[in-house]
Amino acid sequence: MNIRKLAWKNLLRRKSRAVFTGLGIFLGIATFVAISSITSQMEGAVQDQLDRFGANIVVSPRAERLSLGFGDIALGGTEVAHSRLAIADKERIASIHHKDRIRSVVPFILAASDVSGKNLVWMGLPSTDLAIARPWWKITGSPVRERGEVLLGAEAAAMLDKGPGGTVTAGNRLYRVAGVLHPTGEKEDGMVIADIGDVQSLAKNPGAVTYFEVAALCKDCPVEDIVAQIGQALPGARVSAIRQVVESRKAAVDQLRRLGFGVSSIVLLIGGLMVLVTVMGGVQERTREIGVLRAVGFRTRSIFSLLFWETGWVSLLSSLLGAATGIAAAYLVAPSFGIEHPGIRMLPALLGTAAGLVLGLLGAVPPARRAAALSPTEAIRTL
Amino acid sequence: MKIMRAGETMEPIIHLNGVSMIYGGNGTRATALSGVSFDVRPGEYAVITGESGAGKSTLLAILGGLQIPSEGTVRIHGVDLSALPSDGLADFRRETIGFVFQAYHLLPYLTARENVMVPMSPERVSPGEKVERADSLLAAVGLDGKEDRLPSQLSGGESQRVAIARALVHDPPVLLADEPTGNLDSATGEQILDLFSGLNGRGKTVLMVTHNPANLARATRSIRLRDGRVEEDRILAPLAV
Repeated sequence: MNIRKLAWKNLLRRKSRAVFTGLGIFLGIATFVAISSITSQMEGAVQDQLDRFGANIVVSPRAERLSLGFGDIALGGTEVAHSRLAIADKERIASIHHKDRIRSVVPFILAASDVSGKNLVWMGLPSTDLAIARPWWKITGSPVRERGEVLLGAEAAAMLDKGPGGTVTAGNRLYRVAGVLHPTGEKEDGMVIADIGDVQSLAKNPGAVTYFEVAALCKDCPVEDIVAQIGQALPGARVSAIRQVVESRKAAVDQLRRLGFGVSSIVLLIGGLMVLVTVMGGVQERTREIGVLRAVGFRTRSIFSLLFWETGWVSLLSSLLGAATGIAAAYLVAPSFGIEHPGIRMLPALLGTAAGLVLGLLGAVPPARRAAALSPTEAIRTL
Repeated sequence: MKIMRAGETMEPIIHLNGVSMIYGGNGTRATALSGVSFDVRPGEYAVITGESGAGKSTLLAILGGLQIPSEGTVRIHGVDLSALPSDGLADFRRETIGFVFQAYHLLPYLTARENVMVPMSPERVSPGEKVERADSLLAAVGLDGKEDRLPSQLSGGESQRVAIARALVHDPPVLLADEPTGNLDSATGEQILDLFSGLNGRGKTVLMVTHNPANLARATRSIRLRDGRVEEDRILAPLAV
């Protein structure tokens, strides 16, 4: 017989009280683990979705704006590019130090050209990269799969009165309309999208690139580092992170984290109060027993130890159970939160178990102090 | 063997000098003990009697270091109890005093053996040694073979024997008993008193609070309290040393 065993035996005797004491911690930890786990997975999922959403770095030729004027009379201005980008630059971008963080590098070319009698802007990109570069595009018909096919923006299709299966001519060549874009509200609505090779031919500028869109995998993303490295790889290029996207990612994730932390804190606080109330009630109920223990020579520390072991057992078991339940709940409800590949996060479970144990022991401090301060005589009464 | 006569000197194991105990504050003061002084020598079997409210239980609580008197000094086994802090008193109780209560106060969820081992719980003694000590004490009080029974499976007399075994676990020189036969029938009560006599015969100093004058038959001394004062202090039998 030792204090640990004494505590355990007492718990077994008062099962319903032990269950009630543990219930608060169980619910608190289960909620904490479930929310933390879901939040953590949502962070990953949001990040993943945002990464899939598109590029977050744009690489374009460095340009300088020249103002033209005569005396005080402004005659407008023009941008003068210091260098040009070429398709070969894709390899240089893809070979930076953080190349493992780069998901895709897509070259784009823009050119104005006549299409069936209408002057429209052409956007060229590798037809194989279309799904990567613009995954949110909705298309009636099919996307561009090969050279000789075009995709018409909604406004361009209306202007040309063409639809999937139709043909347009440009540069003395016939192009098949593979599909029509649903309205996007962007400039693409008025464009003709084709394979980059076709647009380069139309522009009579083989190998030319107007800009690159770089999608960096940005979980713990060192965007600034990637920007700097691309800048070093292409000294004549202007490399800019799309700050808004990065910031919105951070804000979304932070909001999720704050929500999870707030809810978990409240539930854990309630759990801690439940421990305090039930253990305090237990001390009240066991006043005489504590008096007997004091009478047979238990020191203050031994009484403390007894109550801490009791609460420790309950807290540990209910925390473990709560953590397991939280993990299971998070796994089951993950698809409802848009998490496509639910996983098990061990860190929230470990943190939750530790937090439950600490919380339970903290909740036992006031009752333990009260128990240790009990006068043995008043406790026993019968003496 | 030397026979001590009344008035002969011997170093007391318990020394009370002017002990008073006053409960409450202004307006609600209640005097439980007033100027109680006496000595108890090692090996004495003193029975403390008195009407309800005479201060018997308060006296026993003070003797056991469960309460500190409002006035006066209490020295037991050479230790001034009023000078000890709370944990010092707990150590003193564990090493010097064995308590036996009227209501046994066994822990209902522990077996007889485990109840006897309770005072040893905080100690770093091997489990085997604890079990061995508990079993030998249970055997000494006549409970051989009932070590694994819960208090609910024991009779009143057996429960009190377990309580006595628990009180003896640290081999204390002083046993304090509060109406140990109060909840027992007369035959069982006699057996318990025999047990106390036997322990006294083996050198334990016994102080027993009782209402029952029949308990005087085995005692060597009778101390009667009345209204918190010692009304009568009588030597009933010579003290063998």
